[in-house]
Amino acid sequence: MTDKPFLLKRLFTVSFLMIFILIVAVFLGLSIGSTGSEFKAVFQSLAEESVADSMTATIIWDIRFPRVLLAALVGATLSLGGLVFQVLLRNPLAEPYILGVSGGSAVGAIIGILMGLSRFPGVAFAAFAGSLVTLFLILAMSSGQAILKKDSLLLSGVMINAFCSAVIMFLISMSQHSRLHNIIFWLMGDLSMSDIRQVAILAAMLLPCFLLLFRLSHSMNLLLMGQEMAQTMGVNIKLVTMTLLVVTSFMVSATVSHCGLLGFVGLVIPHMLRLTLGPDNRVLVPSCVLGGGAYMILCDLLARVLPEHGEIPVGVITAMIGAPVFILLLKRSDLCR
Amino acid sequence: MIKLCGTILKLIVVLMIVAATFSPAVARQVTDQLGRQVVLSDDPQRVVSLAPSITEIIFALGQEHRLKGVTRYSDFPEEAVNLPRVGSYVQLDLEKIVALKPALCIAIKDGNPVEVVERLESLKIPVYAVDPRNLNAVMETILEIGMLLDASEAAKALVANMRYRIQRVRSRVAEASCRPLVFYQVGIFPIVSVGTNTFIHELIVFAGGSNLAEGPIPYPRFSREQVLFLSPEIFIISSMAKGEVFERIKAEWNRWPDLPAIKNHRIFLVNSSLFDRPTPRLVDGLELLGRLIHPELFEEEQ
Repeated sequence: MTDKPFLLKRLFTVSFLMIFILIVAVFLGLSIGSTGSEFKAVFQSLAEESVADSMTATIIWDIRFPRVLLAALVGATLSLGGLVFQVLLRNPLAEPYILGVSGGSAVGAIIGILMGLSRFPGVAFAAFAGSLVTLFLILAMSSGQAILKKDSLLLSGVMINAFCSAVIMFLISMSQHSRLHNIIFWLMGDLSMSDIRQVAILAAMLLPCFLLLFRLSHSMNLLLMGQEMAQTMGVNIKLVTMTLLVVTSFMVSATVSHCGLLGFVGLVIPHMLRLTLGPDNRVLVPSCVLGGGAYMILCDLLARVLPEHGEIPVGVITAMIGAPVFILLLKRSDLCR
Repeated sequence: MIKLCGTILKLIVVLMIVAATFSPAVARQVTDQLGRQVVLSDDPQRVVSLAPSITEIIFALGQEHRLKGVTRYSDFPEEAVNLPRVGSYVQLDLEKIVALKPALCIAIKDGNPVEVVERLESLKIPVYAVDPRNLNAVMETILEIGMLLDASEAAKALVANMRYRIQRVRSRVAEASCRPLVFYQVGIFPIVSVGTNTFIHELIVFAGGSNLAEGPIPYPRFSREQVLFLSPEIFIISSMAKGEVFERIKAEWNRWPDLPAIKNHRIFLVNSSLFDRPTPRLVDGLELLGRLIHPELFEEEQ
């Protein structure tokens, strides 16, 4: 690899920058909340000075901190999910939410909830099963050559998504479940129920996936050059593709079973990063993790502080930012044709 | 070295004495309605109510000076509106609750997410959960909250008054010759009524009516066709909405003048918070239902 020293340097610069952005986001996420902003207190307690008010410390570290961590994990996962799907399907508009993979895991998760399974591992497993089913449906529907055409892929995604929403509405309207209210909040994307133990479990599941994807990022580059090229470069296409698909679905369903449907994150972040950093996946994978995390922390911050009372589901925020971006991208790619 | 140890020892002793004198009211352990053990102070001065009904009960017991936070829609009595809000009862704002430094939170099983209760407890905030499913349980709940807030006498008096009024309505409707068929509509679109396991069902039965929607489903949905088939003798529309919505629903049902309820002009609008909140006001709801279902028996009162 002749470009290795260069790559390493670039990787370090980019990671440094993204880590800086992430730290700013974390700081803002910890400082601002529904009871006001405590910039000074966060600095104080970071400097290991004891904060004068123990209640402020509780709010910052026991309530906001797990939530910021969860947002970072979820944002990282969904951006990575978007990146992987875009590479695998060689389609810039692929994303877990748009493809219906998120919808499939939501159907699985709701069935799990209605069956009274525990949140972990029961509901998480049901969500994983749901996402795998939709993934294979999408692949079967757009198999062969058609996979290269974004229209057919998007169409099958839209249809699967529509079907999933219909199933979700069916389940909701059929159920007399007393937790219906919670299900609806959860569906719209909700990070408010984060305690540190759950975040730790999620992190233990997701961090190895991030590393695995980073290891596969070179193969992802080669896959983008075309199957023949990748094969001559010694990539086991079938194995790599299957690993990527299964790992991504696993990650997405783990987050969906935790915080519901958060759309368009996997579209906004990878594209923004690709525009600024170029197409090298070895750089994109780590920067998606860091940048996606920062983006989600900021979206969640908006969700917490925009309304005077209560909060907006964060899925509403991500979709409100993401959908216009999606339309812009669609327009741009039309112009390029 | 020995001197230093001595100083430290003295310091520890002094600290222990200070801690003992300044510790808040004696802690006690109680079991709440879900069978959970709750440790709380004897005389909690900072209470956060996690549902409108609990706010009402605390006000009815005259303990509102302890209330430091309430949920959205806590609109009765009027003074409750001015208290700090901690989100709605299904979507509680954890941060705001913690900021109020409550010595006790009172939660309701039907509505408050269990995750929030667990989080509050992990933050060392005692949460007492209630789960009133019928009138008797509401009275039980009032007594328990009275016990928690050092207002047992007020609670006993309140419950005695409720029992007396309930008994008065029941003995009066016992003389009734019939049990009119009541369709109690809580949802407007879609049409939703109430099943057996609700306060409203109990109130309808106590008030001498029979609930057309009784059954295992708490809030069953109906099509218009099904309602017509049941041919109710009394429609009771429960709504937070204002009169014009009622006029629209009434106009809707008026399209079937053969329905007994429409023929006899027995379609009424009632204030939903008298019926769907487990509070002392349920008895007001019961008396109102009695007058609507059996006006002949309550004539002299009016």
